[in-house]
Amino acid sequence: MIADIAIGIFLLAGLLAGIRLVRGPDLVDRVISLDAALVALMGAIGVRVADSGDTLYIGILVVIAIVAFTATVVLSRFIETTGRR
Amino acid sequence: MNPVSAVLVILGALVALLASIGLLTFKTPYARFHAAGKASPIAFLFVALGAALEVGWVGAGELAIVAVALLLTLPAGTHLLFRATHRTTPPTHMSRDDLQIVEAELAASERADSDGPER
Repeated sequence: MIADIAIGIFLLAGLLAGIRLVRGPDLVDRVISLDAALVALMGAIGVRVADSGDTLYIGILVVIAIVAFTATVVLSRFIETTGRR
Repeated sequence: MNPVSAVLVILGALVALLASIGLLTFKTPYARFHAAGKASPIAFLFVALGAALEVGWVGAGELAIVAVALLLTLPAGTHLLFRATHRTTPPTHMSRDDLQIVEAELAASERADSDGPER
């Protein structure tokens, strides 16, 4: 019950970040909203871990964290070096 | 789920929702980065704490690794985005930008160093 509510709130947070991802005036807004959406996904998986007590999903959290950081760094370097917005 | 971890999980979800609302409503890119880049690791920290109370010592250790990795990498990535924004778009919401002056001086001194005859 509580896990469903928490996952719903995280889903709403991810959807709001998705709206900014579509609307975002610049490329940097899209990058940061992608980051926020991925953190919302990580939170939802964390709620699943807390609900079921299953540690199998924690590996997915590690992978998502690393991929999100790599994507942010690469895209910000791209924006800086090309000046493309 | 025990009551403590339920409260922590709901609190983390609400912080993530606040971060997304700020990301959606703030006007300048810098304010949006503040909302999303600072509240997101806190939100996941609450959820990881709530989950760590449920899964025992081994799972709590793995969750601690994830939380520390996120706390280290997310502010660094947000800082890189701040820098990219500052270098590519001229600031319109500030009357005076000291960082731009300092960065121009730094670039000029680097150019002078690389062109200098002593190298």
